[in-house]
Formats: sequence, C-alpha cells, structure tokens
Amino acid sequence: MSIEVNNLTKIYKQKKHQKKIAVDNISFTIPGGEIVGFIGPNGAGKSTTIKMMTGILTPDNGSISINGMNFKKNRKEIMLKTGVVFGQKSVLCWDIPVIDSLKLFRDMYRVPREVFIENMDAFIAILGLDEFIDQPPRLLSLGQRMKADLAASLIYNPDVLFLDEPTIGIDVLSKERIRHFIKKINEERHTTIILTTHDVSDIESLCEKMIIIDKGALIYDGTLPQLKSDYRTTDLEEIIKKIYLAGEKRYEKIC
Amino acid sequence: MRKYADLAMIGIKEHTAYLSSVWANFLAKVVYLYMQFALWNALFASNKGSNIPLSHNETIRYIIVATIISTFMECDVIGWINGQIQSGDVANQLIRPIDYKFMIFARHIGTSLARFVIYTIPLMILICIFYNGELFCKKQLACGILSIILAYMIQFLYSLIIGLMAFWLIVTWPLNMLLAAIYKLLSGSWIPAAMFPELLTKINMFLPFRAIYAIPVTIITTPMSAESIRESLSIQLFWVVALFLISEAAWVVGKNKLVVQGG
Repeated sequence: MSIEVNNLTKIYKQKKHQKKIAVDNISFTIPGGEIVGFIGPNGAGKSTTIKMMTGILTPDNGSISINGMNFKKNRKEIMLKTGVVFGQKSVLCWDIPVIDSLKLFRDMYRVPREVFIENMDAFIAILGLDEFIDQPPRLLSLGQRMKADLAASLIYNPDVLFLDEPTIGIDVLSKERIRHFIKKINEERHTTIILTTHDVSDIESLCEKMIIIDKGALIYDGTLPQLKSDYRTTDLEEIIKKIYLAGEKRYEKIC
Repeated sequence: MRKYADLAMIGIKEHTAYLSSVWANFLAKVVYLYMQFALWNALFASNKGSNIPLSHNETIRYIIVATIISTFMECDVIGWINGQIQSGDVANQLIRPIDYKFMIFARHIGTSLARFVIYTIPLMILICIFYNGELFCKKQLACGILSIILAYMIQFLYSLIIGLMAFWLIVTWPLNMLLAAIYKLLSGSWIPAAMFPELLTKINMFLPFRAIYAIPVTIITTPMSAESIRESLSIQLFWVVALFLISEAAWVVGKNKLVVQGG
C-alpha cells in the first residue's frame, strides 16, 4: 500500500500562548512495497509524524492518504492493514503469556487458522519465539520482548508496517536476525515498511529510500545512493552527522 | 465476538496473575464485612434504633448484600485508563481495529468474572454459614439482578468518564481520591442511603452514585411495591443513557486533545 502525506502540520500547545511546531508542513510519498528509512535527530518530530500516520494523533493541518483511504472515513480498514512496533512501548499485555497476546491479535484481525500457524512457524524458526512464548513480558529481556513485539505486529500480515526503533537495546546477532526477518517480510509479502532508527547500520542494510526531517521540516527525500553521491562519500554516518550539524547551525542563526 | 472473549480472558488472567494479592483482597473483604457487622451491631445496641429509618435487621441485611455486590462491582478501569494515558501506552490501543472503550469493557467483564468466582462465591458461602435468616427478598430477586446489571453499567461508564479526564489532566489520582470518597459515601456502599440526612438525600437525587449500590441493594433486601421498583429501575436506565452520552462526548473531544507522552 502506498502512503501519501500532504502539508502535514502538528502544533503542540505548551502553557499559555506558547506553541511548539512539532511537524511543519511536510509532504512526501511512499510507494507500496518499499522500505523507507525515516530519520532525524532527537526531537525532530519523527515520532509525532509516525503517530499521525498511524492515526493516533490528529494532524492540525494537512492530510494523510493510505492507498487512497483516510482516517476519517476508513479508520477501521486502515487499522486492519497496519502494523506498528514502538521500540519503547510494548503492545503485549505485561502480566500474561506472550501466546495469549498473539491469540488476541489473531482474533482481533481475523487471521485465518492456516496463516496463523504458518506465521507462528516462521517466528519460531527466525526469531526463536518458542523459547519464551509461554512467559509474560515482565519476565523477558528487552531483546526477547522486542522479538515478541515484532511477532505481535506481523501475525496478521499487515500491508504497512511502522517500525519505530525496532533494534533498540538488541545484541548484534539478534539485530542481524531481525533485519534479515524484516527484509524477508518485505520481499515475500511486499509490505511497505517505514523504519525509524538512530542506528545507521539498520538503514544501510535495509533501506533504499530515505526521508530526513529536522525541527519538524523535511530535509531530504530521496534514495540512499543519491544521498551518497550528493555528499561524495559512502560513509552514511558522516553524511547524517553533517546534515544534523547544518540543521543546528541554521537554528542558531535564526535564534 | 472471539476477540472480546480473548480480552475477557486476559482480564481474568491479569487479575489472577499475583496470587498473594488475590488472597489479600479476599481477606480484606472478610475483615471489612466483619467490621461493618460489628459496628452496626454496636450502634444499634447503644441507640435502640428509635430515630433510624431502617431496623437493625434491615441494616445488617443491607450491609451484607452491599459488601457481596462490591466484591465484583469494584473496578480498575480508572486506573487502567489513567495509566495508559500517563505512560503513553494508549497509543498502542488506538491503532487497533476495535473501539478502545469496548476493549476496556471486555477486559473489565473478564476481571469481574474472576472477582465473582474468587471473592463473591466464597464470601457468600461464608455468609450462609454464619448468618441465619432471610437475606434476599425472593419475590424481587429477578428485578434485583436486573438492577445489579444496570448498576454495573453505570459503574463502568462513570469510571470510564473519570478515567478519560486524564486527556485533560494527565494526572488524575488527586481527583480520584476526592471522587472515591464522595462515591463511597453517596453510593451507599458504606452506609445505607436511607439513613442520610435530608440535605444529603436531596443532593444525591441529582447524582448517579445511589444508582450503583443503594438502588440494587434496596430492591434485593427490602420488600417494595411494584411501582417503586419500576421507578428505581427507570432512574438507573436514565443514568445509563446519560453517562453513555457523556462518555461518548468525552471520548470524541478528549481524543483530539491527546498528547502521547514519552516519545
């Protein structure tokens, strides 16, 4: 499914008469079946944008269209096809075994029996889910919880998947497996994936396209090779640092 | 329908996840009932009950039934919603293809079922052993159960509305403390509502609290005319409708005010 964002704006009200523009009039298009890296420095407005794209927050201005559908009219249809993983917030129920949460999502998203079994087998093979499936999240390590969260968001084969820092606090080997898994999902199911991360190697190994925002404004929207050739280096980390620094300087000037 | 059953099941499992808290809860109920029992017995012994509108026997029946109902009527809905809004976890509930309020309600029903089996039934057995005498007004039992169901809805909708106040206040426990005290007093779960002074009774007429305990307990324990039962039930029905409309409005307005906390 493709995503079209037009003139999106979100303003947070702080105290009396103080306003903070979190997202400032940004527009971009994400074609179906792509993995897009969505990055920016801390407090750039990434999460706010993601939360508007997932229908959690209502934009103050602008529109979001997912395959021609919008949240006002087709909320339920969009929700049925969207998966979200927030690295910092678990979707699983804290005190009950992981498998019960997965069963809840199976019924909530009307996943057919065969699909559920097939997906579970894949999760067990790739993510090693069977090791901790009968334990409640409160007893899991951060990495295990992330894997369980990924499984919970993919059990219903979403067409669009939002990953907000999915590799936060995860060891190198597990990271590798999770990336491999994301790539596989994208290739096999043609899932559109929007990935937010601070880990440059995540982007390097997964994303074709990149969207960079800073201070709520769109800085770059294009492919990764293009960005590299623009800056005449293959070191992505260096490029990102330069972009963030330029942003800071620009901001200082304005102030 | 399956998804709601799953949610109810989760509610049951969540409530029974910590065994020691289950025991503590049950013991608290037994101690509370004994305390009420002893208190009212002492009050009637010292006063002869001449200026109290309920008789000694009626009062004891009232507090026993009120305590039994409270074992499954109590709910954690305010705490759940507050916690989710305060921590930002509400974001994960809003991306689901089912209504947030129905999700909360299904989970609440699960918790109530767990409470009914774990607390209500054993407590009723204990009471059967230690209290001899007619507890229920058998003729009115059917109406009483209907009234309890309505009270259950009112209790849920009330909690939902207070919980949703977190959209505006973010931290609502000071409000909860205040309202919890008012609720406990005015609903008649501590003291039979019939014993209230005139002014309090008048104020209470315009509030939903008495529809949660006072009305169903009175229908169950005191013989009433068919007409006054009908009147009581329609008061409850009125509050179900009114609170439902308020909760819908609070939801629609509040959701747009939502600021997801913590990144």
